[in-house]
Amino acid sequence: MDSRSNIVWRILALMIGALFIYAGAIKALDPIGFANDIDNFKILPWFVGVRLAFYLPWLEILCGLALVTRRFYFGGLSILTTLTLIFVVVTIVAKARGLDITCGCFGHASKNLSFTWHLVLDFILLAALLVLWRREVLRIRAA
Amino acid sequence: MKLKQALLLVLLAFVPAIGQAIYFHDKVSWQTPVAASEMVTVTQARAWGDNATWIDARPDAEFAQDHVPGAILLNEDRWNELLPQFLVVWSPEKKIVVYCSTQGCNASREIAHRLRTEAQLQNVFVLEGGWEEWVKRRDEENAQ
Repeated sequence: MDSRSNIVWRILALMIGALFIYAGAIKALDPIGFANDIDNFKILPWFVGVRLAFYLPWLEILCGLALVTRRFYFGGLSILTTLTLIFVVVTIVAKARGLDITCGCFGHASKNLSFTWHLVLDFILLAALLVLWRREVLRIRAA
Repeated sequence: MKLKQALLLVLLAFVPAIGQAIYFHDKVSWQTPVAASEMVTVTQARAWGDNATWIDARPDAEFAQDHVPGAILLNEDRWNELLPQFLVVWSPEKKIVVYCSTQGCNASREIAHRLRTEAQLQNVFVLEGGWEEWVKRRDEENAQ
């Protein structure tokens, strides 16, 4: 039962890791488009957003790889959880300010998704990350 | 130890990011959203006359209300549907002027970027001040 449970957690981590590798790669291929998406949130000045647009995709890819390979697993998980949490908050704030935002999380393919769907998917992702993170904290404490 | 993992990942991500930034150095406007060379004022764009194709990047409803005479609708919402229609009437020797609602809107930059990268078009410009500025100039002229 325990090993079955481990397999389920492992698969979940693999899926999330792969998702972030894909999301990061899509954005790394079009950093200027991603810079426009960041700028659309009207939170950061352009010169900061454009630099983040070159950095964040690679951070997502590396953290995704950490989840897949289980090397630097906890570090990767912590960063991705924090990034997703920040993103959810920023998205809600932007929407509350009446901005017509497209997150561009998965390139232009995701731009047809409604805000509600974006948020639902983000919350599912955040919940999954928090569950994995909590489980890892308990595992480390027990060790 | 665990904090070190996160820190290491944060630092490691700088390596490919800096490499890519160096590669893109001349292709990106680092200080302003659009390079000055890719912007055009209403006066300049209107001076191009028939040598310019105007693209309205605003939502359908705003385009239906009013738009620059002769402008073609091409927005993010219906990009896949409208791009082929635009390419039918597009002429390579003409400059393309993209506009959205205001100076602060993002749609014109986004459409201009996609025209350059996805449709591989050149001579694509973003209108300074957007539709708002165009209307302002039109009203000023009508008042005279």
